[in-house]
Amino acid sequence: MKAFKTVWTVMLKELVEIFRDRKIIINGLLLSPLIFPVLILGIGALAETRARTQLESELKLPVIGADIAPNLVAFLATQNITAESAPADPEALIRTQEEDVILRIADDFATDWRESRAATVEILHDSSRQDSRIPVQRVERALAAYSQQAGAVRLLARGIDPSLGMAVRITHRDLATPEARRGMLLAFLPYLLILTAFIGGAYLVMDATAGERERQSLEPLLATPASRGAIMSGKIAAACVFGMVGLLLTLLSFKLSFGFVDRGPFAGVDVSLFAVAKLLVILLPMVLIGTTLLTLISASVKTLKEAQSYMAFLMLLPILPTIVLLVSPVKNQLWMFATPFLAQNQLILMVLRQEAITLQQWAVYLGAGFGLGALLWLIAARLYHREQLAISA
Amino acid sequence: MIELSDLHKAFKTKTGPVAAVAGVGFTARDGAITGLLGPNGAGKTTTLRMLYTLMKPDRGSVRVDGRDAFKDAEAVRRSLGVLPDARGVYKRLTARENITYFGRLHGMDEAAIRRNTDRLVEALGMADFIDRRSEGFSQGQRTKTAIARALVHEPKNVILDEPTNGLDVMTTRGLREFLLRLKGEGRCVILSSHIMQEVGALCDHIVVIAKGRVTAQGSPDGLRAQTGEANLEDAFVKAIGSEEGLQA
Repeated sequence: MKAFKTVWTVMLKELVEIFRDRKIIINGLLLSPLIFPVLILGIGALAETRARTQLESELKLPVIGADIAPNLVAFLATQNITAESAPADPEALIRTQEEDVILRIADDFATDWRESRAATVEILHDSSRQDSRIPVQRVERALAAYSQQAGAVRLLARGIDPSLGMAVRITHRDLATPEARRGMLLAFLPYLLILTAFIGGAYLVMDATAGERERQSLEPLLATPASRGAIMSGKIAAACVFGMVGLLLTLLSFKLSFGFVDRGPFAGVDVSLFAVAKLLVILLPMVLIGTTLLTLISASVKTLKEAQSYMAFLMLLPILPTIVLLVSPVKNQLWMFATPFLAQNQLILMVLRQEAITLQQWAVYLGAGFGLGALLWLIAARLYHREQLAISA
Repeated sequence: MIELSDLHKAFKTKTGPVAAVAGVGFTARDGAITGLLGPNGAGKTTTLRMLYTLMKPDRGSVRVDGRDAFKDAEAVRRSLGVLPDARGVYKRLTARENITYFGRLHGMDEAAIRRNTDRLVEALGMADFIDRRSEGFSQGQRTKTAIARALVHEPKNVILDEPTNGLDVMTTRGLREFLLRLKGEGRCVILSSHIMQEVGALCDHIVVIAKGRVTAQGSPDGLRAQTGEANLEDAFVKAIGSEEGLQA
């Protein structure tokens, strides 16, 4: 009871202090909610416009040796691909990224063609460039269509059914839900949400422990009869409340931004109240893990500056699972729900893709998340009992 | 009553352990002011930190009203009012909020906090800044806030580390009167100082500390007799062995 009163007193005082600092409120609480509309409305629209124009507009394609294959060039024109005169040094143009894609028609193309051998065309491009992907695909598809058409005509001319040349006919039935296909475009959203939850209370935590120590107010505080564990818990509680307020605002802005999008890759993402509530539950353990970890760090360093130097590293942590999954994608397994950051990442994607999360997965996740939070809390409490903590000078 | 006996404390440094306190012992009576006099770095602050349970002595014991400061730390802290060397007033809170925060941490109810705050505001002359945020307070205003904060729970024992440090003459005078009032109320007051005249004027019992050791202690008259000096300041200098770090 007495300990609870101390926790409450310390929490209120920390919150009063932080809410009196307007700049921190703006940076800490309002900046992250503002990022979402910009990202979702702005970048979503940008990506969509870009994809559409690249897919549908006229593609200007420099062709080397266009006069060797006039029929091919004419066919490309029907596919909205206009041949341009050949540049002097095509390789250099690709390397300097002045051209996305260049087509070279081999010198013996006409000879091969007349003798019904496979005639060579060469596509010059740089596969590491993201924005040349769509033009290259368009050229490839057009060439494949031309090749198939001409091939079929050849077979017909010899009295052979062209379908004989196709032993297997491959068709696709894409069973991904529209939500899931969108999910691929949403890969960066979990990172933003996890980051907000993880370090949303960072400023308050660092200020309340490392900052107090630096300003020398920790010594009189620890000379009161209040127990150190309760004082620390009050500070953690205040940071959790601050982090939660930030998280709620972020989720609210998340919901509103997606509500406004009616086209493009982000249209129709599940932001029902139920989905947002699930996201909140998923991020709760992250708030606790973040604040306890930062308290632990703040209690072990000498100055506020030293505590802040950990931030760059901490901001990288939530993106690690995304990178690992990018390099080696794996199916969801139960152990993943017990791994911090990875678990949040997977669960958020599952919610956005409207996939069901089983009771077992929830249990493992919440158990592991709050368990880790409790462990970090215990370690931080031990550090809080060190003699050096109170002594600033 | 506070009893310190044979306190030792060493700190690890890069060049090996340094003994900050190496044998400090004295008794501070209720209804009296006990002064710790010594140059800067003599070990006064470390001694006081062991007294208010923030540091554990390597050797020796501290007893506050008969309770062991390390076995019964919470109860001891409850009976102490501490003004540490580091004042650490919260800048974004008003003076009153600073005091109220500590009152609550001592488990007091709001009515008692208000009552005691009003009394301290009157006694320390804080009326003109009590409801201002402490950002931009003068050194004197900060010290007064920190003292009021330390005494809001009416502790029987009052420990002040260099209470007049950085204060102007008028504030210092006011503070001395306040300390005499605490003594009159029967409290046990311990203060540390490097100002000889202050200790001489205020204290009933003087403990002279140099290089972590007690070199002399007693009443002002006792110290004069021990050192054979008629002037108290000469007596101090003789007890310490040097004038360095002291202020007349």
